[in-house]
Amino acid sequence: MKRLKTLALGVALTVTLAGAATAQGQDRPLRVGAAVYGLKGEFMQMWSAQLKAHPSVLDGSVKVTIFDGNYDALTQSNQFDTMITQKYDAIIFVPIDLKAGAAPVQKAVKAGIPVVGSNTRVAGDVLTSYVGNDDVVAGRMEAEALMKKIGGKGNIVVIEGPIGQSAQIERARGNDEVLAKHPEVTVLARKTGNWSRAESMSLMENWLTAFPGKIDGVIAQNDDEALGAVQAIKSKGMDITKIPVVGVDGIAAAIGAVQRGEMTTNFQDAQAQAQGAMDVALRAMKGPSYQPRSTIWTEYADRMPWGDGTAKSYTVPWTEITPENAEAFLKKVKPQ
Amino acid sequence: MMTNNALPLPKASGRDAPNLRELYARYGILAALLAVCVALSFANEFFMTWGNWADILRQTSINGILAVGMTYVVLTGGIDLSVGAILAFSGIVSAWLVASGGAYGVGTSVLAGLGVGLSMGAVNGLLIARFSVPPFVATLGMLSAARGFTYIFNDGMPVSDLPPAFLAIGDARIGGVPLPILIFAAVIGVFWFVLRYTIYGRYIYAVGGNVKSAKTSGIGTRKVVFAVYAVSGLLAGLAGILLAARTTAALPQAGVSYELDAIAAVVIGGTSLSGGTGSLTGTLLGALLIGVINNGLNLLGVSSYYQQVIKGVIIVGAVLLDTSRKKNT
Repeated sequence: MKRLKTLALGVALTVTLAGAATAQGQDRPLRVGAAVYGLKGEFMQMWSAQLKAHPSVLDGSVKVTIFDGNYDALTQSNQFDTMITQKYDAIIFVPIDLKAGAAPVQKAVKAGIPVVGSNTRVAGDVLTSYVGNDDVVAGRMEAEALMKKIGGKGNIVVIEGPIGQSAQIERARGNDEVLAKHPEVTVLARKTGNWSRAESMSLMENWLTAFPGKIDGVIAQNDDEALGAVQAIKSKGMDITKIPVVGVDGIAAAIGAVQRGEMTTNFQDAQAQAQGAMDVALRAMKGPSYQPRSTIWTEYADRMPWGDGTAKSYTVPWTEITPENAEAFLKKVKPQ
Repeated sequence: MMTNNALPLPKASGRDAPNLRELYARYGILAALLAVCVALSFANEFFMTWGNWADILRQTSINGILAVGMTYVVLTGGIDLSVGAILAFSGIVSAWLVASGGAYGVGTSVLAGLGVGLSMGAVNGLLIARFSVPPFVATLGMLSAARGFTYIFNDGMPVSDLPPAFLAIGDARIGGVPLPILIFAAVIGVFWFVLRYTIYGRYIYAVGGNVKSAKTSGIGTRKVVFAVYAVSGLLAGLAGILLAARTTAALPQAGVSYELDAIAAVVIGGTSLSGGTGSLTGTLLGALLIGVINNGLNLLGVSSYYQQVIKGVIIVGAVLLDTSRKKNT
């Protein structure tokens, strides 16, 4: 009975979807699998929601399935096998690890399935394309923002991501490029906060004790860590405007903190990464006649040109969040 | 020669040695803690300041509260792997009620958070006491389920924008002392008293020492076992609320692997994992030792990877000394 019901629903759904799809000149909905490294963080949640909000998914011409990799390379590899067996039309891939992601991609490409990377990079050059932000640039931008605030000299501390993760390595490289240009800046301490607000808060509290009155600024490699540092400074009863804190990503709580003048951050656009990757994947499936449908292409226009949709890499620009534009960004991350 | 004859040597060593051992068993962890503190105060001028100790105690309070519940559980010979997950779920429910839920006051949402913790602990207790599911399995199941509920509850998103009245739980001060420390002290005080001076406390030791003889002497062992898991859940709920208030947001991934830190504090504090022996004083010292080492290594700028190694060595070392002591007596 239950199976019958499901079947009936399925038939009804397929008919409706087919109807919608023929309007676009095509008989069945395309199946796109999105293999993401894990759905526990806020950013990948937003990324997934934005992927499902792509116009082609909303009108039913694309059916999207999201696979939660649970932060495990083997799980992701198994999910690729599943998608290959089920003959998905395209795969959007956010790998947990640069190197471990290479083999599954090769398998899929050999099976004739185009794979588009998004958010995090994967080794090798068989990807159809990659749509993501450049973390070295993020590291550079946040360090520059801090240098501007402290006037290019003084003592700072750096809260890093989990050592060895690609975002940590690249953001640290960006940090270092800028710090190398400022010989009058001393890094008092540099340690991982493991992307955790609670851990970074304890770390910052201890540093404020270890270097009393000496810390002039804080570089945190993501927003959760920055928010932990802000909270530590505030809970010590110190003036948050005297110790500028910079972060990366633009999660909702950080945008709120920017509005209150407590920190600075740069926006990583989940919509551009997810929907951009979807458009590039659709272009690969449908050919040169395909025109991108996501609003992000008009939003970024010249800063990320579509071209003919076949570029090997699309780099989503970072945007600094200021108290003035914060409201607009908050709407972007909290749609209601 | 004369002095040798004058001293009743054999007798003295026979009497003194066990005393020393007993002394060690009682105060070994305290001595270790003091030694670390002395070393750190020489190594860093800011270690022995009130401000730094306020940090250490505040940073220890959450693990400490979890470890109190864990001590009760371990004393009965059980284990509770679900405290980190219960902490996250209670925290997010409580924070959601006070923020997004909107209409609820701080009191209501705190009570709701505690209620969530208590009921999840009660489910553990029911599974273990009534249906004889091994504690490891029952609480492992709860660890997974509670974490799942946490993600389901708010679609995996954190709850932030908490009102100042709620945040005050994490950063208010009463007479200069941060509120989390006072709450931690109150929890320690109450549960130490219960364990030491009430019949229920004695029952916990009895059940952990020998379930069968406890049963034959008329103790409702199931009720005792049920209650320790309920208590552990309740305290995990309290810790979840504190963590949310301290970090100004309830994150669904909060408290991952906190159960292991709580177990570490209990074990370092000398409570036997097979139940029956141990004390809350030991647990308090164990939690403080972990907190002091984390803080000290941050002050000295030692990489956090070494912190993990050192914690591992201390855990195993504490148990090793404990077992060698038992062999000798």
